[in-house]
Amino acid sequence: MTSLDHGKFTRVTTVFHSLLALDVFLLFFSGYAIMFNDELWWLVEALGGSMGVIAVHRVAGLGLITLTVFWMTLLIITPGGRDNFGTVLPGRDDVEAAIQDVKFALGYADERHPNARQFAGYKADEVPLLSYVGKGVVWIFAVELTLLMISGLLIWSKTGIISLFTTKASAMAFVAFHGFLGIVMLMGVMFHIFEHGTHPAFYPVEMKAFLPKDITPEYHAEDEDHDTTGIEDLELSPTWNWAVNLFGLMVVIGIVSVLVGSIFDETYPIPRELTVGGGPTNLLLTIGINVGILVLFIGLVLSMYGNVMRRRYERQLAEERRATTAADGGETSDD
Amino acid sequence: MSDDPQGEREPVRETPAEARERQSHYTDPDSRLTDRLAVIISALVGLVVTGLAYWWAQGFAIFTENLYRVQPTIEGGGVGSDWNAGNTDPMLDAMIALIHAVDVIMGMAILVFVFLHWAAFRRLAARMRQPGERRSDAVAADGGRSSPAESGARQAGSDDGGTDADNGGEPG
Repeated sequence: MTSLDHGKFTRVTTVFHSLLALDVFLLFFSGYAIMFNDELWWLVEALGGSMGVIAVHRVAGLGLITLTVFWMTLLIITPGGRDNFGTVLPGRDDVEAAIQDVKFALGYADERHPNARQFAGYKADEVPLLSYVGKGVVWIFAVELTLLMISGLLIWSKTGIISLFTTKASAMAFVAFHGFLGIVMLMGVMFHIFEHGTHPAFYPVEMKAFLPKDITPEYHAEDEDHDTTGIEDLELSPTWNWAVNLFGLMVVIGIVSVLVGSIFDETYPIPRELTVGGGPTNLLLTIGINVGILVLFIGLVLSMYGNVMRRRYERQLAEERRATTAADGGETSDD
Repeated sequence: MSDDPQGEREPVRETPAEARERQSHYTDPDSRLTDRLAVIISALVGLVVTGLAYWWAQGFAIFTENLYRVQPTIEGGGVGSDWNAGNTDPMLDAMIALIHAVDVIMGMAILVFVFLHWAAFRRLAARMRQPGERRSDAVAADGGRSSPAESGARQAGSDDGGTDADNGGEPG
């Protein structure tokens, strides 16, 4: 029994996921440093001041377009991609999985629905490519990224959008719209980090998104015929308990703060009076939004940690192969 | 003019009274148009023409003023008017209100999912072996290593994605 669960994604997918994560984190850091500049003044400075932060955001935005168009093309031109498109469509199973998750959390169900299960354990075949949450993530990403890229390109040139939409204030409305669109993704990514970072079987990071399926072992035991996932055989990490509570609290504070901040730090309609933000009245919001950014930063670190683990595992496999060859030649080996 | 018989006459010197008499009569004494009436008509025409001229000049003046004068008021179409127009655009207002609503609804849903997973993870964790706890069946499932090494491998395994546990339970 191992906490390394069944591989589901190809190497292209895992590399794409890591690059997309890196790019999206850069977009979040630069974009919300601009939008919440009252609360994240240090991030604006860290990213090169008011001009630097915009440059970072634009370069990362172009990177996002490259990545997204690459992925869409791959989905359309490859048979595997077209097949996968069908598996992303939500079905009745997914609704049932969500309902069963509520029951499971409240103690009215003994197991999570296969469409909700993150740790498949013995039952590799029963678990779909994506859980119902995973499907939701893909759809939200698809819709959000499309709208964000269109609105982002529109506001690239302020004078351009003024000529398109007649007035300066309407151009500001599009900037505000672009920022508020990203709030859904910002909150969703915080949850995504929580979901795949604090699962007790995978803590501190679920390797499924980093290890391609061709090198992930597809078995957990000789006897594959089990009634349970076998999670009882895994030992809980000693730090899991406080880690899940602390990180869960941070995620909740982060989500609530960016949500409240997006409503109160509104840039449209443009107020008649000059409003000076920040100060002690906004202290809680400032702390909360910074906690949210810290959650994203932890996500970035976990994404890199997942790749470090992948490298270590690949090297270990190579060593094992070498040891096996040596064993054939008559030498003894630990494994 | 030269054949005018009067032109060859000697000028007759007018008496002051005659001169006064002549000056006071601009019109033919037999006509109904008296001097007084003529003066009144002329004055009226003068006033009307002046009025028209003023009206025309006034209209012309308003036109140039609108063309060249900076009117800083929104009503006058001044510098702030396009800000105001964009700031009160119902379509943009609706768009911003809609995205705010989407943010709040999605935020609430995401919070529900966070709490749902938090609770589910706690239940799953309760089923796992607690740190340091040993179960006889767990050892066999892992590939048969003895317990002390097993315990160490578990910890390392969950920390680095289980590679060591895969390896047969050797501590990492």
